[in-house]
Amino acid sequence: MLPYYIVSGLLLGSIYGLATIGLTLIFGVLRVINVGHGAYIMIGMYVTFWLFTLYSLNPFVTLIPAFLVGLSLGMLLFYTALKRLLRAPELSTLIVTFGFGIILEESAKVLWGSDYRGFVYDLGSVYIQGIPLPLVRMWPAIIALSLVLALYFVLYRTRLGTAVRAVIQDPEGAIICGVNVEMIYLLMVALGIGLTTASGALLGIYHQQGINPYIGHLYTLRAFVIAVLGGLGSPIGAFIGGLIVGVIEQTSVPLFTLAGAPNPFGLSVFLTFMLILVILILRPQGLFGR
Amino acid sequence: MTLSRAHTLIPITLYAILLGLRLLIEITGPLGPITGQLLTLLAFYIALGQAFNIFLGMTGYVDFGYVAFIALGMYGMASGVVRAYEAGLPGYYGIAFGFIQTVAFTALLALAVGGIALRLRGAYFAIATISVNEGLRYLVEGLDLWGGSRGLIVSGPLIELFGSEGFSLLATIISDILVFGVALLALVVTAILLNTRIGYALKAIREDEDAAKIMGVNTTMYKILAFATSGILGGLLGAAWSFKIASIYPSDAFNILYTIEAIVLVMLGGAGTLAGPIVSGILYGALKYFLAGVLPGFQLLIFAPILITVIIAAPEGIVGALRTYLPTIRRFIA
Repeated sequence: MLPYYIVSGLLLGSIYGLATIGLTLIFGVLRVINVGHGAYIMIGMYVTFWLFTLYSLNPFVTLIPAFLVGLSLGMLLFYTALKRLLRAPELSTLIVTFGFGIILEESAKVLWGSDYRGFVYDLGSVYIQGIPLPLVRMWPAIIALSLVLALYFVLYRTRLGTAVRAVIQDPEGAIICGVNVEMIYLLMVALGIGLTTASGALLGIYHQQGINPYIGHLYTLRAFVIAVLGGLGSPIGAFIGGLIVGVIEQTSVPLFTLAGAPNPFGLSVFLTFMLILVILILRPQGLFGR
Repeated sequence: MTLSRAHTLIPITLYAILLGLRLLIEITGPLGPITGQLLTLLAFYIALGQAFNIFLGMTGYVDFGYVAFIALGMYGMASGVVRAYEAGLPGYYGIAFGFIQTVAFTALLALAVGGIALRLRGAYFAIATISVNEGLRYLVEGLDLWGGSRGLIVSGPLIELFGSEGFSLLATIISDILVFGVALLALVVTAILLNTRIGYALKAIREDEDAAKIMGVNTTMYKILAFATSGILGGLLGAAWSFKIASIYPSDAFNILYTIEAIVLVMLGGAGTLAGPIVSGILYGALKYFLAGVLPGFQLLIFAPILITVIIAAPEGIVGALRTYLPTIRRFIA
């Protein structure tokens, strides 16, 4: 049984990782925590849901429109609010990103209602020790991993990536060296939100029982745990943190069930959140932070 | 700021007027558009803003998990009442026990979260508080505490303990007076804090935490103090409010809406000001009450943009802006 849960944890965790990279990217560059993070995941899920149910588009292909929607939302967020708050106290950006999340959720509620809407997509299964593991869970992990590798390549092998890392290290120094810092800010917010909605497109497949406008809350929290685990501002740390949290979640549910807990899922979520306090006590800079 | 007598007099007069109106309506019935329900709502929001202001307004730290205190207050009171009922004790014991439980639960939560998370700076603290709120909610559901996701039914025991007349009094006017009481208590605590060493220390922390530390301010201790005070008051508010709720469910009690409203109230009125929460509580409560009739379900969609605009255009809030642009009123409004 255990290998099965570990494999499915890694598959889920890789999407968690992708879902967190946007958060850490924006934090790393702008020092802004996007408290409305989960709302963008929810938007990605709805993009997939509507394109799949209305136009029968392959859910994995909807990743591209979801990414584009995220890019535009990110630009909107930057131009309307974050740009004006670059020198404001942390309190302001926390509340404003929170407010944007609420606007997205409430708009989704007005447009699509608060009922759960779901779809089923099946590609058959592979078997691990006789237990079926659906193929629709394999593909998202592969896509997520390739996106993370692509991001790694951009950050560490291109001139743009060098400029981004320069801004992360020292924004003023980067300006002196001729980097258009505001452009980097804009690009990273857009890219960060784009990757987040893209991860939402992949996560939709895990919610066969349906999605609703408030489904993002849980992902906001998970993203926070993962980001703190991997070290805020470290995109690669976020991905590894995602894998760890995925495995913890997938293995703890059956353990709590064996222990006879009344609601194993609830307890496993509780465990994930308490993890954050443990990390903050022991290693506030994260497992991979300096 | 140093408070003069005028500074505290105006808010207290406002409270007295609102409470007087509420009592009057109890006898005469609604006065035009002003109903008992409206005043109840105003009292709740003033109390919420006033209690949350002690932490957010004075330290500049955002507690995104503030609702956990309100929820623990609701559960503390409800489980106290249910326990008294099951033990066959009179209802007053249940309520007294409920208040004791509320203070104990919220103080414990504040010390646990504050002790761990307040050693850290803003962003990490914000993250930790959101996690704790959701974590607690899932703990209640996961361990099936207080009825878990099936809810804790409190109206039944209350009716058994106090009779249906007593229960309806408890759910309306008595609960309202208690809510006003919490608001007043929060106001008094705020005034005392603003005028003492603690208030200066908190202000120093809000303006520049590193500088405060270097000057020898025990920043962590003062932050925990403000956090616990604000949290216990939030718990008392939840306890006072719980008489109005037939059964308490984790998803309602831990609803993040309360946190959002608390942030809106503090930022709209003016963080760290004494009169801010009253101004914004009256504005927000009245707007919400009348909007609920016209555009039900749209409140959040209306308030979120207002919040964002306030933060970008007038980060000092209504009272803060008044104090900046009309220096003469500084003698009266703090």
